[in-house]
Parts: sequence; C-alpha cells; structure tokens
Amino acid sequence: MKIFYALALFLVSISSVGASEISIGLTDDVIEVDAGFAGAELTLFGAVTGIENPADTVDIICVIKGPASRFVMRPLEKRGLIWTTGDAVEIKDTPGLYISAATRAVNSIVPLPQQAAFHLRKDFIPISITSPTPAPGEEGGALAHVLPSAFLTEAEELGLYRDNVGRVAFEKGVLFTIKVDLPATTPVGEYDVDVFLYRDGELLGRDDATLAVRKVGIERQIYELAHDQPVAYGVLCVAISLFAGWIAALAFRK
Amino acid sequence: MQIYLPIAELPVDPFVIILMGGAVGFLSGMFGVGGGFLMTPLLIFYGIPPAVAVGTEASQIVASSVSGVLAHLRRKTVDFQMGGFLVFGGGLGSIAGVAIFRYLREVGQVEVFISLAYVIFLSLIGGLMFVESLRALFRNPQTGKPRRKRRSVAWMAAMPFAMRFRRSQLYISPIPPIILGFFVGVLAAIMGVGGGFIMVPAMLYILNMPTNVVVGTSLFQIIFVTAITTVLHAAANQTVDIVLALLLLTGGVIGAQLGARAGVRLRAEQLRALLALIVLAVSARLVFDLVSTPISPFLLEAAR
Repeated sequence: MKIFYALALFLVSISSVGASEISIGLTDDVIEVDAGFAGAELTLFGAVTGIENPADTVDIICVIKGPASRFVMRPLEKRGLIWTTGDAVEIKDTPGLYISAATRAVNSIVPLPQQAAFHLRKDFIPISITSPTPAPGEEGGALAHVLPSAFLTEAEELGLYRDNVGRVAFEKGVLFTIKVDLPATTPVGEYDVDVFLYRDGELLGRDDATLAVRKVGIERQIYELAHDQPVAYGVLCVAISLFAGWIAALAFRK
Repeated sequence: MQIYLPIAELPVDPFVIILMGGAVGFLSGMFGVGGGFLMTPLLIFYGIPPAVAVGTEASQIVASSVSGVLAHLRRKTVDFQMGGFLVFGGGLGSIAGVAIFRYLREVGQVEVFISLAYVIFLSLIGGLMFVESLRALFRNPQTGKPRRKRRSVAWMAAMPFAMRFRRSQLYISPIPPIILGFFVGVLAAIMGVGGGFIMVPAMLYILNMPTNVVVGTSLFQIIFVTAITTVLHAAANQTVDIVLALLLLTGGVIGAQLGARAGVRLRAEQLRALLALIVLAVSARLVFDLVSTPISPFLLEAAR
C-alpha cells in the first residue's frame, strides 16, 4: 500500500489544480511473461482532480489495446462427411488484445457516437478484412459482411477481445484503481492504455500510458532460437533428445 | 502449476503431460511398440496444435529409441548395410513429407489432413490387430503357431543393382528397401510416428529379412529418420517444442519400464486385443471430432 500512496501523491501533485483532470500511473510499465505465465492481473492507479466526491458524480472508462496484429480466420465447411476449413481471410492491423473496463456499463455512461470515436467497445474497433476477392453473388461475397462480427465473436472466445471485464473503482477520494485480467495468450508488444473521464455523457478529461508485455526467461530464448536459427535449433533438439534418451537408458540399465 | 510451452505457445499442466507420456510409455513398454501413433492423437486431444504435436513427436521418438538402439548394437542385431539404404530412402521420404506438411500448413488444411491420416492408419492397424488377436485367442492351443517360411526373393534379386546383404542373408536389389524407407520417412514427417508398425511387418514379409535383425535394423532406421525429420520440421515449420518433448520423455521412460514389467504377466494375444481396442478407440474419437458439428463456424488464429 505504501507504493499506492506514494503514487497517488505523485499523481495528485502533477495534476493541474482547478480543471477536471484524470491521470493514470502504472506500477510496472513492463509485464514479463515467463514459463509459469497463466495470465496476470494488471492493476493501474489513477487520480481525478478538480472534482468534489468524484466517486459519486463521474465515470471512468479504460481501454487497453495490444500491439497491432495479424489474424487469419477460416470458415469451417462440411465436405462430404467431415468438417474442413475453407478459404482463409486475413485481418490486419487490429489490436492483438482489447480490453475495456468501466465503473459501470459503457452504454449508460457514453452516447454511441463517442463510443465509436474512442473505440470504447470492441464492436467499434475498425476491422479490415482482406479475402481472396470472391466474385459478386458468390457465397464468399455473401459471407463478407458477417466476417467482422464473426471475427469479434471468435476473438472474444479466445479471450483476446473483451468488453466491460475490468473493475474500475474509486479507492480514497480522488484515487481510483483499474484491475484487468490479462489472459495467458496475451500477445507480446507495446500496449496503449487510455482512460476517459465522463460526467452525464460529457468527456471531462483523458489520459494515456503505454505498457510493454515481454516474454522473458528460458522459454523466450527457446522461441527466439527456434525462429531465428531454426536449423541450429533443430540440431540442438536432436542432440538434447539423444542425450536425454542416453541418460534414461543408463538410469534403467539393469 | 503451469508451464508455458515456448513453441506451442500455450500454458500446460506439466504433470498431465508427464502422465500422458507415462501412459503411452507404459503401453509401448507393454506391447513393444513405439507409441508415436498414440502420442500424437493424445496431444491433439489435449489441445496441442496438431502441427506442433507431429514435429515434437519426431524428437521424442529420437530420445525414446536410444536405449533400444544401444541394446541392439550391443547384441549386434543391426544390419548396417540394409539400415543404410533404409535411412537413405527415409531421408528422402522425410524431405518429401515435410514439404507436403509445409504446403498443407500454408493452405490451412494440415489439421484435417493429420486427423484423416490417423483415422485411416489407426482403423486399419487396429482392425487387423483385433481380428488377428481374436483368431489367436480362439485358436486351438495344440496346433500352435505356424512356422514362418522364408519366401522367394527372386523378384527383388532381378531388379537392378542387386547385391549381397550378408547380415540378412539376402541377395536383393537395394531399390525395395529404399522405397520402403521412403514410405516410412513420409509417414514420420506427416504423422509424427517412427513407423515401426509398418516397417517391421514389411521387413519380415516383403524383404524377407531374418527375425533376429528386423527390430534392431528398424530401430536403427527410425532413430536416423526421426532425427532428420526433427531438424527438417524445426527448419521448415518451427513446430518442434523441446520442452514438450522432454516432459513427454520423462513420463515415457518411466512408463515404459513399468509397462515392460506388466507385459510379462499377460498373454500376448490378450495384450494385442487390448492394444487393438485402444487404437480403435483413439481412431473413433478422431472420427467423432471430424464429423461432429463445430461449436463455432469459424477458426481464428493469431498469425505472425
């Protein structure tokens, strides 16, 4: 808690006095994903200044967007008896992770146009889909307009795109915390954290921060070796396997 | 407890993986089979991406074959000359298999392909084994096993480059072993199996090799071809997860020891019927997964 108060004091001191302001701070601006990473709870601290009793009068919305990523989506088609995958479509430059959190349901805080402008719900993330351009009138053409919503549904299934999942709560007076669960599949890279301060549907202030998710430890080194020097990695795998097999043979030799 | 697999890129429970390795190791120790053909489907059922399951199995087979190869080398029951041609064919087959695998992966069909390949092989082998073991169980014990007659190899001697294989007491062309090795190499690359279940019968009944060198020579081929396959998969597809392989191996070696001890207490025919039923059950599950309507109509993957 010491850190919390120190941070809170810091935040209050940097915020300009008088106007409604919101600012957030991160206790760690780097999250390290190691061998045991099974998801993590991310806690962000913030302060609101220039408002009396903010807990009763204002709302806060927080949006966390992961690094721009590329996804491949394939429809499942029944061919004869079995289910196979159809032609792939590509979704480019979309956040690898999207999480929104708010003091209450976003719909009751902000009117739709602003939700769209600030991407306050996953439905408003612009999604550009490139498909192998089916001729108009063909099945693929008809499928095209359902693809964005299908992508959002699938991304939600994977735990990558989630609305209203975090907990935003005022702690002491002007201080608030945002708690968000990051899934085990959290992609690595730079994250943008945006917070918005609203009262009666009107934007009072905003702030942002960046956060880096990095993989560390032996499994990251293995991953990098496997992708940067695949042949060397393959030879190493064989060597390790031979050695492990030899050890096992020795251990159980009668 | 969770361990993050660096190549499969997902967290797994290491004890579940070790137990799976142990269970398959137990079966392979009990029945004297490789177990790759059971391990790969099990990994897929657990949620490991099929491509990673296949690539990783190749490296695990390398490790689990070491003790067998060493034992046969000590007993001098390896025909190196025959093994050399089998490895040559196997290497070519592995190159072809990895190329097919890579192509299927690019067009997004590798999962379905692996499942289908397993359904076909497991059904065939499980079915044949089951019928065979039932026949053996109900056969009059007095008549016993008919002795294997060594058939003529004249047709293989008539092929080009015929030569003497001293250890196997054969005079045949190296072309049939190369073709056999090639076929097994393709299987190793696209299914993550050693291929002993194909090679041993083929060496006995097609190449007519004597029984005492068959297992050693096939293990000799398997360890080389799975090693080549591991390197090729790592290079072309980046699908070899060494952490997963080591977890499987840990369970596998212990399981194999326990299995070998349990195996001596059961009758061979009963064992074979049991293995056949397990193989058929795995195949049935794969069929079920292929024909049942998927929960969601799309498949989404993060690409890199």
